[in-house]
Amino acid sequence: MTFLQPFLLFALPLIALPIVIHLINQQRYRTIPWAATMFLLQAKRMARGMARLKYILILLARMLAIAGLIFALSRPMSTGWSFFGGGSQPETTIVILDRSASMEQQSSPGSPSKRATALQKLADLVNTTGRNTELILIDSATGVPTKLSSAENLIELPQTEATSTTSDIPALVESAVEYINVNQLGRTDVWICSDLRTSDWSPQSGRWEAIRTQLTDRQGVRFYLLTYPTISNDNLAVSVSKVERSLTGTTSELRLDLEITRSTASDEAKTVPVNLVINGARSTIDVELTGIRTLVAGQSIPIDRESTRGWGYIELPRDQNVNDNVAHFVYSEPAARKTTIVSESGEFASLVELAMETPAQRGVSYTVDRLTPDQAAAIDFGASACLVWQAPLPTGQTAKQIESFIESGRAVFFFPPDTPDESSLLGFTWDDWVEADRDKPLSIARWRTDSDLFSNTQSNSPLPLGEIVSYRYCPSSAPSSITLAHLDGNIPLVSRIPTDRGAAYLCTTLPRLADSTLARNGIVFYIMMHRALDQGAASLQAARSLICGTISEEQTANWKPVDDYARDVLLSERPYETGLYQSGDRFVAMVRPIREDDVSIVAKETLDESLAGLDFTLIDDQAGSQFALASEVWRVFLIVMVVALLVECILCIPEKAQSSGLQFPQVRSPERPAA
Amino acid sequence: MRDFIDPKVVSRLANLALDARHPMAGSVAGRHRSPTRGSSLEFAEYRKYVPGDDTRRLDWRAWGRSDRYYIKEFEADTNLRMCLIVDVSGSMKYGLNATTEAGKTRLDYARRIAGTLAYLASGQGDAVGLYCAGENFEKEVKPKRSAAHLKLILDELAGMEAKGLSGLPVALHEAAERIAQRALIVIISDLFMDPEVLKGCFQHLRFRRHDVAVFHLLDPTEIEFKFDRPTRFLDLEGEPAMLIDPVSIARQYRQAVQDYLSQIKSVMQESGIDYHRVNLEENYAEVLVRFLLSRKSVHG
Repeated sequence: MTFLQPFLLFALPLIALPIVIHLINQQRYRTIPWAATMFLLQAKRMARGMARLKYILILLARMLAIAGLIFALSRPMSTGWSFFGGGSQPETTIVILDRSASMEQQSSPGSPSKRATALQKLADLVNTTGRNTELILIDSATGVPTKLSSAENLIELPQTEATSTTSDIPALVESAVEYINVNQLGRTDVWICSDLRTSDWSPQSGRWEAIRTQLTDRQGVRFYLLTYPTISNDNLAVSVSKVERSLTGTTSELRLDLEITRSTASDEAKTVPVNLVINGARSTIDVELTGIRTLVAGQSIPIDRESTRGWGYIELPRDQNVNDNVAHFVYSEPAARKTTIVSESGEFASLVELAMETPAQRGVSYTVDRLTPDQAAAIDFGASACLVWQAPLPTGQTAKQIESFIESGRAVFFFPPDTPDESSLLGFTWDDWVEADRDKPLSIARWRTDSDLFSNTQSNSPLPLGEIVSYRYCPSSAPSSITLAHLDGNIPLVSRIPTDRGAAYLCTTLPRLADSTLARNGIVFYIMMHRALDQGAASLQAARSLICGTISEEQTANWKPVDDYARDVLLSERPYETGLYQSGDRFVAMVRPIREDDVSIVAKETLDESLAGLDFTLIDDQAGSQFALASEVWRVFLIVMVVALLVECILCIPEKAQSSGLQFPQVRSPERPAA
Repeated sequence: MRDFIDPKVVSRLANLALDARHPMAGSVAGRHRSPTRGSSLEFAEYRKYVPGDDTRRLDWRAWGRSDRYYIKEFEADTNLRMCLIVDVSGSMKYGLNATTEAGKTRLDYARRIAGTLAYLASGQGDAVGLYCAGENFEKEVKPKRSAAHLKLILDELAGMEAKGLSGLPVALHEAAERIAQRALIVIISDLFMDPEVLKGCFQHLRFRRHDVAVFHLLDPTEIEFKFDRPTRFLDLEGEPAMLIDPVSIARQYRQAVQDYLSQIKSVMQESGIDYHRVNLEENYAEVLVRFLLSRKSVHG
């Protein structure tokens, strides 16, 4: 509880006034001589319990009345929980805002969404309490701390608007903790506004442990989880998992695999009209929904035979969350997956070649060029989608060509050479090999499951990285790299070097049998290599789907909107909103992460485990609720005061005068007995 | 005349005789009935003549009509012994209210009632005695009929001083034993003690065939208990002082008084006592008039 006029609380000692007056009265007694002491003793004996209790109650009522008056004048704010519990106001308030698509869910059509409700309440809280606190926003789309000048910014800024991204709550909390540590903040409140989706919170992530470790000894940081875990009953979400253009005889058609997810499981069949818009042409199909997920596989839509590339989207009828009702897609001739392997090891080259030539998609050409380091000048940079480099790092012209290759959006995978040297590229160098104990090889301790090479599958299942072990590794000095998988002892196994476009990966071991079990347990190696290949190939394709939140604003600067959805999106919000764009002669579809359709919520017990040891308060709220985080409650104290005065009056009402026996009745003399 | 005897009151009461409610065994002729037959003018009964009877008391007219001998008997009139027992314990010193009729204290009021009754009784030829009941019998003046004795009684009344614990029950039992002949015993007290104890005393007195009258002197402040400030009550009989908020116990106090008065009333009725509850703010003359008239009416 906080007070808008806290200085009035200095008057609280006045609560003792009734006691003081009582004591003074006790001292101001008068003395009288008295004869009927026997009645006094009897009365005291009779009144021993009740009279004392009554007197104490009267005193308490008077004290309560004074306390009620003082508190009412101090203008108390109620928060419904121990907000500002310590009495001291936070110097800084950090708002971590989940802007994921699921936060746009409404209680009823037209009512505020979960995100809007949370923002409004936080703005009201800051405004109502009038506290002098620095307000910092960390939104899930950008992940960058932004200083706000006023509470209204929470509602007005584009950084708080809806997006079609997913959220990485552990990363946002890490960002907040880093901000606190770097700026040496004192008393700080961290508000996390989220709908507690498991996909956003990654409760099993090892990052929570790191967060706990950083905050264990830090005082004055308090977390408030303003959560909206309620899932509306009949919300539908649509996604396109596959788009394939095929030629059948003289006609051409698009084959779509689309998935419609219901927010709650139901055995009741339901037919939903689904709009299909292909290159602006609209058609409608009815889809019968059964169970929680309905997969419509191979939905065939005729298109022009000459239409080798194009765009489209699928629309569901409006429901509680409009952000998951549209799925955009683009199509084109698939780009050839050409991989160039530069390796000084024949065994390594063969293993990679085997993995890269094994097709992952039907109708796509998978080819491999094998070169030795001496033949590096012959690399076909123009046609390759992915370059695998297992040799001493190149220098000179080749190094520049590789950097340009990455800049053009393609992917490069660096593996350590057999004999590392001091050459460097992209700011990293290879160190000497380190042999692990053959009997105790290093296994993979943890990896990032939310994005990039080792992200979970579409069904949110983790890759079996735990089965991989490494017998030797070659550490790299790449200070700014992002580690995607760690070996035991916090040793990086696979890292990504940050680049503006394209991708540069480092793997600190080799798939050879003597080095690791990457090839023996080939699923992870295959998926890892093909994900890198797909990233590179995407830049060569005439149509490309990008997941919202995975590209930067600069990359979208020259895009031209194609559909109405994209035209309504601010330039700065393009990386985070779904829509269709044209970039040069290529179509780009910004699509919602499929993980956002997963409706599973983090259990409270799991949340408690993730935040164990942190000072946090969980506040469950609902979209559109009128419950205020803070409101003035002086009326309550005024009522308390009035009630206390009434009780005091009732207790002080004099006893009803008793007439019988207190008069001087004349007792009739008894009859004179007969003589 | 003493200052506690008002001549106006005495002259007002002169026409009202002090009567006994029971036959009295006096030593000389008087205006009160005697338990024996005597020579008054009031016919009592006939009885058969037995040898040895005084032949002068034979009813010759009855012999003439019935040829039998009857003795004609008459009531005997005798004088009254009035014993005044005045409580002089510390509680009789109470007199909180300046408007109290008797002037100052309960004892002053008792002195006026006792003195006036002694004067009236002496005037109609009755013997008057005085007993002061403190912790024990403080004073004992045996009943006599002379004018000089009345002076002695009045002197003793004037010299009475209220102090110490109440020994009224002991004094009453003592009086029952010491006063051998039937007498009118007038008790003047606040009776602040257990009614059951008093019951034993009164039954003892009644057993000795005494006519007992009680003036129960009570101050309105003791009954109503209308105090609104914390008060330190200083007991007049030496009990420890008590600091009390009267408001907090007023209801219980009044209840205790009510119970006490009910018990006293019950004890008096069961013991056949001529009981008079007296408000100290009332004119004592009115109290005495009421007392004398009540006895008159009973006597007929």
